[in-house]
Amino acid sequence: MNTQHRLRPVLAACTFFLLSAVHAGQVLTVAVFPKLDEAVKLALPAWQKLHPDVRINLATLGYADHHNRLVTQLAGKSGVPDLVGIEANYLGRFKAAGVLTDLTAPPYLAARLRPLFVHYAFEQATTGKAIYALPADIGPGTLFYRKDVLDRAGLREADLTTSWEGMLAAGRKLKAATGQYLLANAHDMKNLYLRANTAEGEGIYFDHNGRPAVTSARFIKAFELARTVRKEGLDARVTPWTNEWTAMLRSGKVATVPSGSWFAGQLESWAAPNTGGQWRAAPLPAQRNAAWGGSFYAIPAQAANKQLAWEFMQLLSADSKIQLAAWQAPALQAFPALNSAMQDAYVDAPMPFFGGQPARKLWRNAAQATPATRLDRNDPLAEEQVNAALDAVLFNDKDIRAALADAQKQIELRLRQ
Amino acid sequence: MAGQALNGPRWQHWLARLWLVAAGMLMLLPFWYLLVFASHDSASIFNLPPPMLPGRQFANNIATLSATPFWSALGNSLYVTCVGTVLSLAVSALTGFALAVYRFAGQRMLVALALLAMLLPPFMTVLPYFFWVNQLGWVDQFRAAYMPAAVSGMGVLLMRQHIAQGIPQALLDAARIDGCNEWQLFVRIALPLCKPALATLAVICFIATWNSFLLPLVVLPSPEHYTVHVALRAMQGASGGDWGGVMAGALLAIVPTLIVLALATRQWRSVLAGNGMHEH
Amino acid sequence: MSGTRWAPYLFAAPFFVLFLLFVAVPFAGSLWLAFQHGDAVAGLAGLRPAGWQNFRFAWHDPLFWASLANTLVLTLLAGIPQHVLALALAWAIYTRLGRLSGLAGFVCMLPYVTSSIAIALVFMTLFSNEFGLLNQMLARLGLGTVDWLHDAHWIKFSIALLVIWRYTGWNTVLYLTALQNLPPHLLDAATLDGATGWRRFRSVVLPQLRPMLLLGGTLTLIGGCQLFDEAFILAPDGGTTQSALTTSLYIYRLAFINGDMGSAAAMAWLLLVSTVTLIVALNLLGKERAWPGRH
Repeated sequence: MNTQHRLRPVLAACTFFLLSAVHAGQVLTVAVFPKLDEAVKLALPAWQKLHPDVRINLATLGYADHHNRLVTQLAGKSGVPDLVGIEANYLGRFKAAGVLTDLTAPPYLAARLRPLFVHYAFEQATTGKAIYALPADIGPGTLFYRKDVLDRAGLREADLTTSWEGMLAAGRKLKAATGQYLLANAHDMKNLYLRANTAEGEGIYFDHNGRPAVTSARFIKAFELARTVRKEGLDARVTPWTNEWTAMLRSGKVATVPSGSWFAGQLESWAAPNTGGQWRAAPLPAQRNAAWGGSFYAIPAQAANKQLAWEFMQLLSADSKIQLAAWQAPALQAFPALNSAMQDAYVDAPMPFFGGQPARKLWRNAAQATPATRLDRNDPLAEEQVNAALDAVLFNDKDIRAALADAQKQIELRLRQ
Repeated sequence: MAGQALNGPRWQHWLARLWLVAAGMLMLLPFWYLLVFASHDSASIFNLPPPMLPGRQFANNIATLSATPFWSALGNSLYVTCVGTVLSLAVSALTGFALAVYRFAGQRMLVALALLAMLLPPFMTVLPYFFWVNQLGWVDQFRAAYMPAAVSGMGVLLMRQHIAQGIPQALLDAARIDGCNEWQLFVRIALPLCKPALATLAVICFIATWNSFLLPLVVLPSPEHYTVHVALRAMQGASGGDWGGVMAGALLAIVPTLIVLALATRQWRSVLAGNGMHEH
Repeated sequence: MSGTRWAPYLFAAPFFVLFLLFVAVPFAGSLWLAFQHGDAVAGLAGLRPAGWQNFRFAWHDPLFWASLANTLVLTLLAGIPQHVLALALAWAIYTRLGRLSGLAGFVCMLPYVTSSIAIALVFMTLFSNEFGLLNQMLARLGLGTVDWLHDAHWIKFSIALLVIWRYTGWNTVLYLTALQNLPPHLLDAATLDGATGWRRFRSVVLPQLRPMLLLGGTLTLIGGCQLFDEAFILAPDGGTTQSALTTSLYIYRLAFINGDMGSAAAMAWLLLVSTVTLIVALNLLGKERAWPGRH
C-alpha cells in the first residue's frame, strides 16, 4: 500500500498552503554518501511531480568524508543541509548529540509510521520516546559461503549453521580436506558471535543502561571462538576490504563471509564478480539474527526547510514504490526497511549469483526476527578497545579475561564524567 | 656558484650520473602514472596488471569531469589560494621587516609566536577553528579558508632572516637622511631586495593552501564552494565514481602548482639556505 | 626619531592581529578542549568540564603509547634515509649538473606537489601483494614476495618508503641552496689541498652544512611527529595490530570517529610537548662537537 496516500491528508492540513505558494523556486539540500545518492536520484522524478519548483541540491561525499563533515556541520549556524543520510555506525552519536529533529512532535508525528517499518530498524532510530530518523535501507546479518568449496570437503550448509561448535568443526574439516580457510580473519568470528548474541534493547558493547559490558560471558565466548580459529589455523589472517581479501574471495581460499545482506551487491559488482553461481547465503549459526549495517535519513535540528525535508524523507523512506525501485536497481540493491515493499513478489525472485537461491526471502525472514539492539554513542570507542584487546590475545597470548577487563577499565575511564 | 669542476676518477663520474638518473626517474614515476591513469577509463585503470602507457581516454575523462562542479571548484581553489598567498606575503614581509630592522619591546615574544605557529599540527586546531568560524558567522565563506593561510610563522622567520642579512643598516640610514619615511623604506628598499625570498614563500604558501583538504572540507560545506581537492574526493565518493575523471582532474589540479613552481625556481636560489633560519 | 619608535609596531600589527584571531584562538581553544568532555557533533553546547580526566585516559591508554612508539619509529625510519639520500642527491646535482640544477630542483619538488589522491592510487598499485610492481620484481629476482600492506612490520617500511619518496626532493632543494651559498674559495682551497671526492665532502662541505642539517632535521622531526597523510593512504585503519597507527591518525580517529574531542585535544598537546622535547634534544645534540672536520 502506498503510504504517501495515507499521509497526504495529515500533511495537507499543515503544509498544503505553504508548499504550493511559498516554496516556489526553493532549494532543498540533501547530503548523503554512496550509494544513498543513487536512491535519491531514483526518487527525483516523483519529487519533481509533487514539487516542480523545489530543486534538490544533492551533496554527495565519500562515506568517511560525509560523516566527518556532518560532525562539524550539524551544530553550525549556517550551511546545514535540510536532509542528511546517516549510516548505522554513526547514528548513535548523532542521536545523542541532540542535533537531529525529534520527529514525534507535530507536524511530523512519526510514531504513526512505526508499524510500517521492520521492527529493529525503526527502534534503532529512536531513543526512549524520541524518533530521530527513518530507516532508508537495512542489512540483515547473513552468512555467505562458497558452495563449491564446501562440496569439495563434503560439508553441507547445516554443518555451518547448526551451532557455534559445529561451525568450528566444519572449519577443521574444511581445512583438512581442502586446505581452505573458514574465515578471512579471527576478528570476523568475534564480530559474528558478538552481533548474533546481542539481545533486544542491549547494545553490542553496552548493556540496557548504557554501561560497558565487555567482560560478559558473551565477550568471553566470542574471544574464545576467535582464539580457537586463530590457533587452529582456520582463518586466512587477511584484513577485510583489501586486495588480498578480494583475491581470496575470488579463488575460494576463504569459504565464508559473515556480513549484512548488502554485501551480496558488493560481491557481485566488484569483490568477486566472476564467482557467480558459487555463492550461497545462509542464516547465522545457532538460529540467531543480527542487525548488520543499514542507513537512515534524518532532519538536522538547524535545517532551514524542515517541512519540505520531511516530505522528501517520507518519499524516500516510506513510499513503497520508491523503496521497491531502490531494491530492484542493480546498482543499488538496497534492502527495504518498509514492510509493504518487503512483501512484494520480488522477494521470491531467484538470484543467479547465488545459484538461483531466492536469498532475499531468507533475509526478509531474518530481518523480521532481528532483535532491536541499541546503538550507543560510544560504540566506536568500545569497538576500538575490544579490537585492541583481541589483538593482544591473538598476538601476545594475553589471557582473555585479563584483556577484556583492561578494555572494560579503559572504556569506563573514558565514560566517567 | 654552481658546478664545481670535478677531478675524480671516471667511474665516479658515471656512478654519479647513474644515481642522478635513477633518482630523477623515481621522482617522475608517479607523475608518469598520473598521466597514464588520466588517459584511461575506470575499467582499465583497475586492470591487473595496471596499464603502463598512456591511453586515449583523456578527452572523454575531461568531458565527464565537466559534468561535475570541477571547473568551478578549480576557480574557487585559485581564488582562495591566491588571496591567501598574497595576504601571507604581505603580512610576512611587513613583520619580517619590523623584526629585522628595528629593536623594540616584545620583539622576542613575536619571534616566539611565529615559531609556535609553525609547530602546531594543523588538524589539531581544525575543530576549535571551526567553532570559532561558526561564532564569527563565516561558515561557507571563502575567507574562512584563506585567512588561516595568511598567518605563516615560517614566512615571518624567512623574511626576517633575509632582510637582516640582505639589507645593510647603513643603506637604510642613508635613505632616512635622504628623507624617506619608514613606509617608503619598506616599499622602495626592502621589498625589491626581497624578491627571491618572497618567491620561495609564495611557492610554500601556494602549495600548502592549494593542497589543503580538511580545512576547506569543514568550513566550505556547499558544493558550489568546494575547492578542487574536495571536489575530486566527492567524485571519488559518489557511487559509480569515475576514476578516469578523478585522475584527469588530479592531473589538471597540479598544473597551477607546477606553474608557480617553475616561475619561482628562477628566483629562489640561495634563499631557503645559507641565510637560512638557524639562528634563533 | 618618533617614526622609528612606532613603526615596528605598525608593521607587525597585521601579523599580531591575524595571529590572535586565527592561531591563538584555535590554539587556546584546543587547550581548553583538552579539559572538556564531549562530542564535536553537539557543538560547544555539548561540552562538560572534565578536569584532568582526558590526560589520565591518555596516560593509561596502551593505544596512545603504541601510537607514539609507531610515530617515533616511522620518523626515524623515514627521516634518516631521507637526509642521507637528499645530501647525496644535492651533492651530485651541485657537482655534475651545473646549469641544469634549476631543472633538477623543479623535478625534486614534483613528488611534494602531487596530490595525495594520485599518490594513493599509484602506491597502492606498487605495494599490492599479488600484482604490485615491487612484488613482481622481487619474484623475478627469485626472492620471496612481501606483504607490504598487511604485515605488521612491513607496513612501517612501506609508509616510510612513501614518506622518503615524497620529501627527499624537498630536502634536496634545501641542501642544494645551502651548497650554492657556500663560499667558492672554500672548495677551491680544498681541491688545491688535494682533497677529492668523499674526503672533500666529509671534511670541508659537511661541517659547513651543519646549520642546514639542523634545520632540515628539525623540519623532518616536526613533519614526522605530525605524520598523517602517508599512514592514512596506506593503512587508514591503523594496519594489522595497529602497528601503523600514528598519533595523528589516532587523534583524528578520536575526534572525528569516536566523537571524543577532549581526549583528542589532550593527546595533541602531549604530542606537541613530545615534539618540542625532541627538537630541543636534536638542537642540543647538533651544538656539540660531535661533528667531523675543522672550524
